[in-house]
Amino acid sequence: MAIALRIALVLITLGCVFLFVSHPLWFPAGVSAQARPLDHDFYVAFWVLGALFIAGQLVLVWVLAKRSTNQRSTRNWYGNGRLEIGWTVIIATIFLWFHLSGGQLWSRMMSPVKEAGQLHIEVTGAQFQWYFRYPGPDGVFGRTEPVKFAKPEEGNPLGIDPADPAGRDDIVSTTMVLPVGRLVQLHLRAQDVVHSLFIPAMRFKQDTVPGMEIHSHLMPTQVGTFEIACAELCGLGHYRMRALVRVVSEAEFEKWLNAQISAPGQP
Amino acid sequence: MPITSDRVEIERKPKLGGGGPGKIPHRRGFGGGDDGDHGGPEDFRSRRQRMRRYRLVMGLCLFSVTVVFVVLTFLYVLRLGTGRYDEDTRRQIQDWIPLKLPYLQLWTNSLVLLLSSFTLELARRSLARKEEFADMGIVPPRMKRDLPWLVTTVALGFLFLAGQVLVWQNLQHQGVFQATNPSRNYFYLLTGTHAVHLAGGLLALLYAAGGRLLALRFESQKIAVEVTGWYWHYLAFLWFCIFALVHFAKG
Amino acid sequence: MQKASPIPTAPHTQGFLRRYIFTTDHKMIGRQYFFLSLAAVLVGAWLSLLMRIHIVWPKAALPFLGEIKPENYLAYLTMHGTLMVFFVLSMVPQNGFGTFFLPLQLGASEMAFPRLNMLGFSTALLSFFVLLAAFFAPGGPSGAGWTQYPPLSAIAAAGPGQALGTDLWLVSIGLFCLASIMSAINFVTTTLKRRAPGMTLMRMPLTCWAWFVTAVLILLAFGVLVAAVIMLMLDRHAGTSFFVPGGLLVSGKAVEHSGGSPLLWQHLFWFFGHPEVYIAILPAMGVTSHLLSTFARKPVFGYKAMVGATLAIGGLGFMVWGHHMFASGMDPHAGFAFSSLTTAIAVPSAVKTFNWVGTLYGGRIRYTTPLLFSVGFVSLFITGGLTGPLLAQPALDVYLHDTYFVVAHFHLIMAMAGLFAVFAATYFWFPKMFGRMLNERLGRLHFWLTLFGAYATFMPMHLLGIAGHPRRYSELTGVQYVTAMLPLQRFITLAAIVTLAAQLIFLINLFWSLRKGAAAEANPWRCTSLEWTLPSPAPKDGLTERNPFVSHGPYEYLPGAESDEDFVMQDAPAS
Repeated sequence: MAIALRIALVLITLGCVFLFVSHPLWFPAGVSAQARPLDHDFYVAFWVLGALFIAGQLVLVWVLAKRSTNQRSTRNWYGNGRLEIGWTVIIATIFLWFHLSGGQLWSRMMSPVKEAGQLHIEVTGAQFQWYFRYPGPDGVFGRTEPVKFAKPEEGNPLGIDPADPAGRDDIVSTTMVLPVGRLVQLHLRAQDVVHSLFIPAMRFKQDTVPGMEIHSHLMPTQVGTFEIACAELCGLGHYRMRALVRVVSEAEFEKWLNAQISAPGQP
Repeated sequence: MPITSDRVEIERKPKLGGGGPGKIPHRRGFGGGDDGDHGGPEDFRSRRQRMRRYRLVMGLCLFSVTVVFVVLTFLYVLRLGTGRYDEDTRRQIQDWIPLKLPYLQLWTNSLVLLLSSFTLELARRSLARKEEFADMGIVPPRMKRDLPWLVTTVALGFLFLAGQVLVWQNLQHQGVFQATNPSRNYFYLLTGTHAVHLAGGLLALLYAAGGRLLALRFESQKIAVEVTGWYWHYLAFLWFCIFALVHFAKG
Repeated sequence: MQKASPIPTAPHTQGFLRRYIFTTDHKMIGRQYFFLSLAAVLVGAWLSLLMRIHIVWPKAALPFLGEIKPENYLAYLTMHGTLMVFFVLSMVPQNGFGTFFLPLQLGASEMAFPRLNMLGFSTALLSFFVLLAAFFAPGGPSGAGWTQYPPLSAIAAAGPGQALGTDLWLVSIGLFCLASIMSAINFVTTTLKRRAPGMTLMRMPLTCWAWFVTAVLILLAFGVLVAAVIMLMLDRHAGTSFFVPGGLLVSGKAVEHSGGSPLLWQHLFWFFGHPEVYIAILPAMGVTSHLLSTFARKPVFGYKAMVGATLAIGGLGFMVWGHHMFASGMDPHAGFAFSSLTTAIAVPSAVKTFNWVGTLYGGRIRYTTPLLFSVGFVSLFITGGLTGPLLAQPALDVYLHDTYFVVAHFHLIMAMAGLFAVFAATYFWFPKMFGRMLNERLGRLHFWLTLFGAYATFMPMHLLGIAGHPRRYSELTGVQYVTAMLPLQRFITLAAIVTLAAQLIFLINLFWSLRKGAAAEANPWRCTSLEWTLPSPAPKDGLTERNPFVSHGPYEYLPGAESDEDFVMQDAPAS
């Protein structure tokens, strides 16, 4: 039994290592400015914790193998203060370093950035659909009042106030179209319940909370089409609350924007 | 079979102590370390032990109640401070409409509650005086004239609750012409939670006051009054905290 | 002159009802909790099986049930979480084994308040039935997950189970909180006031320490959850707006609320919810310490450090709730503070792990089923615990939050580790509870299948999470990159089916041994704590007649002894 248990633990450790080394699934390729530092942080964490995992399991195997003899010293029978303090300090140091190194990335990710020519997009989650609103040529979002004006069948799902001149040129799309290499300021809102905008390829996730407008930013670095999923349980259609991000060149983006202004509603 | 061989004695002094052999065994009759019970059922039932147990429970309850009220106060202040997001201006706005508190009613209620705390203390003292005679099964004639403080306390408790209901009604009428106002919600939440707790105390007091009908032992009656007393005074104190909160942090 | 009141244990000659149903005997109540949890875990496990099948074969028609629909999936998900967290993981280690063994291990004749104990169980039972009643409500049970985030949980129009189903959920959880508070008051009072003479705090077995600290956590955390549940109820039915903001449009209808904040619920819920994690795992840790020492025939390594770590985990547990909300729009500075405290809590957890390893080191280990499960606990605790510091980093957590990575993390460290400790405790204490031994051979088979099954089921989920698979998806058809993960999800479902099937071995063992198992002697494991001074099963009067006098620490195993008599009972006379 003793040997079987040790073999089992070794097998499990090897199995887990194999699983992560062969990794049938892994991160999608990172296509935003924060993907690279985040992936780097993840790999640091992955190697440190992976090493601790292997060490932990193997130490467990080792102590199970350690047989006692009759004339054992009983010095550490009830414990050992020095050892106790030693490993507490060591593990606290590792975790402290780990925490501080991770904290830097967090503060960089969350501190607001501004840039000339940045793009503003308002993201609204509604049950099982994402809407992306661009302010149009005037650069100002129109006033919304979903309870009064929202009529998805008439092309006004967000309830933009028809009386507000700033809202007349707003573009509402169900696809998020972004110019590559330009900073995007996101204004995240929700119409009914809590949703969460999750773009795995851009390593981006932020809840959208009704009654709040949350600000965040994003910088796409690669042209292509990527998927958006909802990451906060929002009801029956949570699993199919999907949208696309289309990252295009600057010229193509301008073309798309102009087409939208003349013929709204075409993605 | 357990054994106690000499081998136990080796290495008796562990570096980190505990879990090991521990200290010199205590003399029989003096509980485990601090407050272990004295083992036998007689001791367990002894008046002092019972009182101490119920006091501890009341302490724990007050602990729990405190956490709840601290959290509610935290919510109140948080909500008062942040306001809500406004669609038109696209920023947080202050939608907290200060209540016009019916101070006369509130002060009357406070007075009633304070008075009830006072009469409960008198009830407790009266019971304490009777205690030594209770074992003999007699009540000295001069103590028969003690006023029914317990019943008075219960009556005052009901009066307070009725007064609170009047306050809520008053605020209800006040709010007819305005949309749901967070300040009123939170006022209801705080005072309502307090009233529910007080009603619990009232039940305990009713139980003690109806002692004779329920064939309650004198000792149990006394414990009920004593322990509920702590609770009652604490709720009176909490009431003044809530009053101060809604008065000073009005928005 | 008043007559002396009867001893709070009832006399021997009792009817069936007094003996098994309306009993104030802590041992019977402990058994009641045990079987209630067993019922809950059966339902919960069955639901998880249905969910796993639905994820990978959404169109499969099951016998009797037919096809599972997405709304059923969400209902199962909510019920699975609620049953497992409340009625299994926080009930059986604390209320099940604790109610039975806390007084015995402390040398007390009963709980401090036997009738309160009974009331606590009745309330918990009622709460269980109210929860299950939701299956028969129109629209079915709530589909908002066990976290019940408003506005989804506050507005009846937001989903199929959000009307009566959610009301029943809220009532049930409110009742459960009251039941837990009653039982926790009893635990704390019993620990502080009813210890046998000589049983100092530092002579209590670590199980008692764990139950005690857990009871304090319950007192603090559950009161807040009651307040939150009542506020949500008021929002739903009394027109208040604590959690629901204004201007919402749900299913095309305007919602008549204004000025509430959904984040408030998240704060309140997790202020309860994170200590809840420790409410579930601390008793499991206590049991593991106790068992490793018993079967390694060595004292617990660093008893004081263990007690300190238990207290530290309990204390820090109240300051880390925000790490569930890094992606929720909370202030980033608060996020950093919560992250620091969360990382700090990894330190006492690691200290505990080191001490378990230290306890095993050089022991004369007896490879019984309880020991196997305890070693399994340590292994799973290391595995599941190490993803904790990673998730405590807000930047990384934002990516992994609400993905299968988190599912893997908490299932390994809370569900699997917790269940392994429960299994260990069951195999260990079954003789004392029911007078018979569980079958060792079946027990070992159960262990091997469960250990490999647990790893095979939950390790691959980390990869799903890293690849960005959000949790609580009823089907994989909605999002394309998720659809591509079907093969791994199929593998997980197969592993889950095997693991769940292995639990049938446990059930068979349990019910077979209840009637036919080998009769247990008084102290089959040669353990030192006081419950083993009684014959098996523990007689109704418990320790009333014995009046134990404690003169030894809880883990006095003798170094170098080769015989069976290598231990000193806690109540052995001092030499």
